[in-house]
Amino acid sequence: MTEKMTHTPEQIEQELDHIASVAAVMVDGDLCRHIVTPRALEYMFKSDPHDRFLAGDNYDVNDAQFNSAKNTLIRLSRLAPFACDVNLWMPVPGHPDKIQAVIRNVHDLSQFYVFAAIYQDLFPPMRTVLETGKRVTVRQHRGMISVLGPVYDSLGDIAGLVEVAAQPSSPAHEGHM
Amino acid sequence: MKPPDKTTSHPSRRTFLQTALGALAAEQALPAFGEAGQNSNGPQARETRLFALPQFLRPDPFGDIVHADRNAAAAGNGFQKGHRLSLECPRGTYASFHLMVQTARPGEYTLDLHLNDRSGKIQTDLYREWFHRLHSGEYYPDALVPVSAPHRSRLPEPDNKIANQSTQAFWVDIWVPADAAPGDYSGRATLQAEGRRRTLELHLKVLPAVIPAEDVVTLDHNSYGDSWIATQFPACVRATSGDFYKSDELFRLIHSYHRIFYENHGIFHQLGYSHTGRVTPEFAPALEGEGRKKRIANWNLYDRHYGPLMDGSAFAHTRRGPKPIPFAYLPINPEWPASWLWWGQPGYEAEFTRIVGEMEQHFRRNGWTQTHLEMFFNHKKRYKGFSWDGDEVRFPKDLRYFHDYGRLLKKALPADTPVRFVFRADVSWDMQQQFRNLNGVVNMWTCSGGLLSWHKGAPKMLRERGDIVWYYGGPPRVTQPSSAITEMVLRAWVWDTMGFLHWLAVSPGKDPWFNFTGGSTTLVYSGERFGLRDPIPSVRLKIQRNTVRELTLLDSFKARHGLEDLKAEATKQFNGSMPDQWWDPRPAFADKPPYDYTNADLNSATARTRKLFSNLDAAAWNRVRQSIMQLARENQ
Repeated sequence: MTEKMTHTPEQIEQELDHIASVAAVMVDGDLCRHIVTPRALEYMFKSDPHDRFLAGDNYDVNDAQFNSAKNTLIRLSRLAPFACDVNLWMPVPGHPDKIQAVIRNVHDLSQFYVFAAIYQDLFPPMRTVLETGKRVTVRQHRGMISVLGPVYDSLGDIAGLVEVAAQPSSPAHEGHM
Repeated sequence: MKPPDKTTSHPSRRTFLQTALGALAAEQALPAFGEAGQNSNGPQARETRLFALPQFLRPDPFGDIVHADRNAAAAGNGFQKGHRLSLECPRGTYASFHLMVQTARPGEYTLDLHLNDRSGKIQTDLYREWFHRLHSGEYYPDALVPVSAPHRSRLPEPDNKIANQSTQAFWVDIWVPADAAPGDYSGRATLQAEGRRRTLELHLKVLPAVIPAEDVVTLDHNSYGDSWIATQFPACVRATSGDFYKSDELFRLIHSYHRIFYENHGIFHQLGYSHTGRVTPEFAPALEGEGRKKRIANWNLYDRHYGPLMDGSAFAHTRRGPKPIPFAYLPINPEWPASWLWWGQPGYEAEFTRIVGEMEQHFRRNGWTQTHLEMFFNHKKRYKGFSWDGDEVRFPKDLRYFHDYGRLLKKALPADTPVRFVFRADVSWDMQQQFRNLNGVVNMWTCSGGLLSWHKGAPKMLRERGDIVWYYGGPPRVTQPSSAITEMVLRAWVWDTMGFLHWLAVSPGKDPWFNFTGGSTTLVYSGERFGLRDPIPSVRLKIQRNTVRELTLLDSFKARHGLEDLKAEATKQFNGSMPDQWWDPRPAFADKPPYDYTNADLNSATARTRKLFSNLDAAAWNRVRQSIMQLARENQ
């Protein structure tokens, strides 16, 4: 995207916050818990000096659950009148200080995702969302605006979170490697 | 494995062997090359002199040969005889060597070079070799800065900033076109320094043999997006008014990258989308609408980018002449042209087939029918964009998506389309199953070199069913012997693949000039540091070019000498091996599903071939070259 936004940052934040509030209703937390396969989780923290791609090469998802969740995320992103991504982040079972990006979207918009990271350290704003269920706005990197919001399961527990992200001037020319 | 008695009983092979060995013996009987050959294992006493080194012996800035090539120094003996350098070259390629300027004391010098050719067809290019400082403190030459003769400078070279530099190397390319007259040509290199003049007489023998224009293997140089161009050409970006990514300057530079690879007998790929499907605007036509109303809104950026490449006009002023690029990625990915939102719904098929159909019409109307347009999926699950691996599939369940896309592509295209759409897959773990499972779906295969090594016969099988097959790896570091890059070219031919792909060939690192990481992701450099608005080549790129040209000449002799015998002799000369040894035995674990073995298993399975090339000497290709020249002389 190279389009220039006509919206003010405040308007953008308002739109993103609205989408995050809708996501809390629309995104199925039970389904999201079944996207990453047990095998992928098993290898996520394994290391082998002879196999630096061990975690990545064993990363796998259940495609029905992935595609269903992604479909919802794309629809949510289309609520915004500007380029916007809704990314799904999930806790890593057994590793309360870690978080994993599970679904990213077409504009590559995220303030948190590090390219090729299978999991990352849990970011404080994400911890806040997971612990309190409150939506949090983040403006840390590259002028981007992200609103983090909870994803709930059928028991009413917080299963994960969405990052609803937009950037007034989106980068269209970063590397694709 | 082919029985040795059958191989050696071929009469033409015996002739080849005898003549090749004879040529080698003659070379070894000659005196050491010039003064440089007398003590090639250590720095020379500093004196003012002009001398030459064969291309496989790369010099350092102190009059010595770089460490990686030093064990082959003896093979350079006789290259220069006194003050005379004799070269031999078939037509349709280059004669290349290092020309060395050494001065006894710091100071100015003038280097001149010319070769007499009344027809003006034979042309000489002179490049200053940049000595890259590695983290280890060593210096290796690689980037080639074009200069004009006469060239005036001083030692130490001011911009290279090497304390006590005594020697400046120049790469000399003598272009011998296919229509040059065979015969003897003479010329001279002269060095003016410290009030004295030194000369090196040049003698070039142009053989009647003409190397076929089409290279026997395609040498591909891959890249991702185009933001790296802005990074490497900041002055060009600053000089651009408005958006650089919509500027003529961007497209000029993209075309310049294509030209530098084309002129050096390679091709260039740029992938125009990310792992989440974000398409860079100049790599795809602009779209508008959704569902059945989705259409191509305009081709402006795409046509400025690809038009001159697909009609060949971007290459109008090259030595090889205008020619459409043979391959290009399409922007197709799971998110383009159809939105993944509609996957599995009628809308996905409608958007995909409508847009791809419009693309086919556009290519056909423009006569862009010579380029293979690749539907290729680069994404991996680990990057969290999609639910299946498009690149290097490991889990067989992902193959169903390939079938789906194969069906969509066929539906989008007229059965009689003259446009060359291909479905390309880059395969590693699961290649054996994919060759079977995707037969008739995928028709262009880019195979991991390591894993392909235990699939002997697979390239031939794929070629016989009409598929395109390459293998991939990466550029060797400059600290490897100069012959390392020739091994990749030779391997492609020995394996019956149609090409080799450097997975990344335009990324020299943050500071290739004074803190070089070795060049394993580049074969070209930005020329901006030297006031140039174009990329510049490298020693490794030139060696690769000369190798593929000479290999093409060798392959042209197969009707007379037999392809398998030519391979056997080439591998023998290269590293004393037989072609069968260039394959690994199929490991027992290959019978298991690919997700049940590991990278460590793969590593152990390729141990034999790795060992075969672990002690490669810099002169490996030179021995093959001498054999080829002997054949060229015999067959003229």
